[in-house]
Amino acid sequence: MRASLRAIGRSLGLYALITPTFFLLGVFAFIPFVWAFTTSLYDYEIGGDSAFVGLANYTEYLDDPTFWSSFTNLVLLSIFSVVTGVVFPLGIAKLIFSLSSDRARYVYRVVFLVPIVVPGVAVLMIWGGMIYGDNGLLNESLRLVGLDSLARGWIADPHTALWAVAMIGFPFAGGINILIFYAGLTGISESVHEAAHLDGASGVRKFFLIDLPLVLSQIKLIVILTVIGAVQGFQGMFILTRGGPGFRTMVPGLWMYFNAFSFQRMGYACAIGVVLFLLILAATVLNLKYFKSSEDLTAAG
Amino acid sequence: MPRPKHILLVAILAASAWALWPSPEEMAGGGRLGNRPVAAREDKSGRAYHLRVAPGLYLPGTMPNNVGKPLEGLVRVAEKFEALHPDTYVEFVGTPAVREWLVTQLAAGQAPDIISVNVEDVWQDVQKGWYVPLDPYLAEPLPGVEPAMAGSRQWWDIFKYQAITRGKAAPDGLSYCLSYDMVETGVFYNKDIFERLSLSVPKDWAEFLEVQKRLKEADYIPLLVPLWSISDWGVDLVFDQLYQPLRAGIDLRQDPERAAYLEGYLDWDEICLLHRKGFFTRKDPRWVELWRILKEWRPYWNQDLTSADPMRLFVTQKGAMLWDGSWSVNRLARDPDIGFRWGVFYLPSIPASYSRFCDGHPMCVIGGSATQFTVTNTAFGDTGDLRTSERLKRVIAFLQFLTLPENADTVINETMSFLPNIVGVEPHPELLPFDEFLRRPYTTTKWSYTFDLRFNEIFMRMLDLYLADGISEEEYLAWTEKNLDAACRTVIARKKLDLTDLERRWQEKAPARAQMKELPDAR
Repeated sequence: MRASLRAIGRSLGLYALITPTFFLLGVFAFIPFVWAFTTSLYDYEIGGDSAFVGLANYTEYLDDPTFWSSFTNLVLLSIFSVVTGVVFPLGIAKLIFSLSSDRARYVYRVVFLVPIVVPGVAVLMIWGGMIYGDNGLLNESLRLVGLDSLARGWIADPHTALWAVAMIGFPFAGGINILIFYAGLTGISESVHEAAHLDGASGVRKFFLIDLPLVLSQIKLIVILTVIGAVQGFQGMFILTRGGPGFRTMVPGLWMYFNAFSFQRMGYACAIGVVLFLLILAATVLNLKYFKSSEDLTAAG
Repeated sequence: MPRPKHILLVAILAASAWALWPSPEEMAGGGRLGNRPVAAREDKSGRAYHLRVAPGLYLPGTMPNNVGKPLEGLVRVAEKFEALHPDTYVEFVGTPAVREWLVTQLAAGQAPDIISVNVEDVWQDVQKGWYVPLDPYLAEPLPGVEPAMAGSRQWWDIFKYQAITRGKAAPDGLSYCLSYDMVETGVFYNKDIFERLSLSVPKDWAEFLEVQKRLKEADYIPLLVPLWSISDWGVDLVFDQLYQPLRAGIDLRQDPERAAYLEGYLDWDEICLLHRKGFFTRKDPRWVELWRILKEWRPYWNQDLTSADPMRLFVTQKGAMLWDGSWSVNRLARDPDIGFRWGVFYLPSIPASYSRFCDGHPMCVIGGSATQFTVTNTAFGDTGDLRTSERLKRVIAFLQFLTLPENADTVINETMSFLPNIVGVEPHPELLPFDEFLRRPYTTTKWSYTFDLRFNEIFMRMLDLYLADGISEEEYLAWTEKNLDAACRTVIARKKLDLTDLERRWQEKAPARAQMKELPDAR
């Protein structure tokens, strides 16, 4: 007992150092979550009365007009984001990594990283107005080649809106993802490359048999981050389509926002938030449990 | 010795700074780039009464529609007020035009003291104590007017459009909003295009559609509209054409105070009861007809209803007609490069020959009050009590000062957007057609403002989808029915409505309904 106290006493300075972090984490992360969960059990209108309703907000959400469409959109957009967030950056990282000149590799890394300094909102406005707009790049290009009949309000047309939103970011050369994959590729030991070379593996075959398994940790990280981003994020839809036309581009996060701040249904919005939290938690746990990383594969021999 | 690449980088930075540096004109505040949030004023924020006012379109320093000069009328009026009350400073603030912002500010008691907000938005929240009822002040004489002049007996009398102003009382009978000016919609049309195609202003709906057909054949976009104006104005106007003839049988509450302007207006509780009786469902043929008429009209509008810029398409003469509010007069009249003659007419009525449910009565109006000044809970934040708050008295004093004819003239006519609602202040001559429109009766209801915002959000979204062929008529009707069911449940619960009395009146009106054809199967 005395020994334990002595040990704690010796580490007091370290505890003091991490206390502010835990305090801030508690105030800005844990307490809001507990508050959100509690509020989700109430019918609470901003400025109005509050009444305990148990799980009624959750059962109502199952019957919500946006429930199925928004989750379908979320799944489609998440899959699309994961695929484009892995395939294109990994391909680009591999191409850069394969360059023989150090200087060229450096220049390309910088070139692909520079666009991330452009604020996300500006990117969305550019896509909404300059590319998808009535007189935007896409429609004007179609008119130029005589395909006037195909010109349309890309984000206003119910048949194209979801894919128009998904395609934002084309050609999906995300600078951060490229850097993560590039770091993964540089981490592969030179001896592995040499062994592969001796075994006759090269080109595409080497990429799929050597590089890909050894950057699985990076893929795992990007999948988790992309899914979390897709579930939590709604800014793209909020700025460009507000989830429309109809609910064709609605996602649960955006509907949560509308309920909280527009319809003033704070309890209901909190219930949606808790559902999203559980969804992210489940996706992360499944990913960690079933998605093998390069370390797991190495350990398994 | 600096390297050449360093010199090059510095040169690029210097050239960028030079290119982005504002011109002397812009730095002086009179540049072409308007929408500065607030005109620069001497800082008097340390004074005992620091009033914050969100005046909507009249925000000093801004240029409505980005034409003309930056507004300064309100600053001039505020300075006169401050000279009379040296312990007061009036600050003008811009506010985001979103309800989310307003609700959170009001809930926190941090909204500006006076805000311009649509009366129907206020009605949604009156039970929360966020707004100050103005009736006691309106019943008192208006300080600053000469004896025997309008307003000397009671403040109410200073308002020109009495019926509209008094009609803006909330369903609880109290007035929370002061109608400072008036607005109405109109169809702006390109006279040159009309002349070239030998078209004239349409007298009824059939002619209106014919004009649009001819314009489309000539490769013009016949009518330019944004989606919100269809879901708001379009639905209400066509609804009135279809349901106004039924008023004797379905208008269940007569309110003498509001009837002067809102005669026959259907409030949320009346809509709820009618909905229970089968109205506004698939069983109601007029309800089905409403959407059919809009769908038949749809091919003549701009293809993209959500992101196209109707005004731009109109001034570039890609579109021949623009359905918009009187605020567009400012844009069109003050544009030196407009390049064509334009006029304005009101939407024509729907004759019985077009729809068997219509009787050809004139199309109603849906505008009315434009800037609706509302006093918020911040104004009595000093004591938290309306009766004892000194700050509230000062806020009301400023509001009263704004309505004095000379001040209203300075503020309202500077913008050429709205018609003054003050006796003795004439509207800008360009706005006179709208004065004529405003003499028409008011709409039967305003769907966009009747229920909560959730209802409105779903209502607008599904209408958009239906008009864009995203869903079938059957699916759309099912959506509206479900949406209205939920909205009625919510409003009955939140407002604690008792429909027993309306039920009794419904029974009393049975003989009147017996004379009417094709009503839903109501008991």
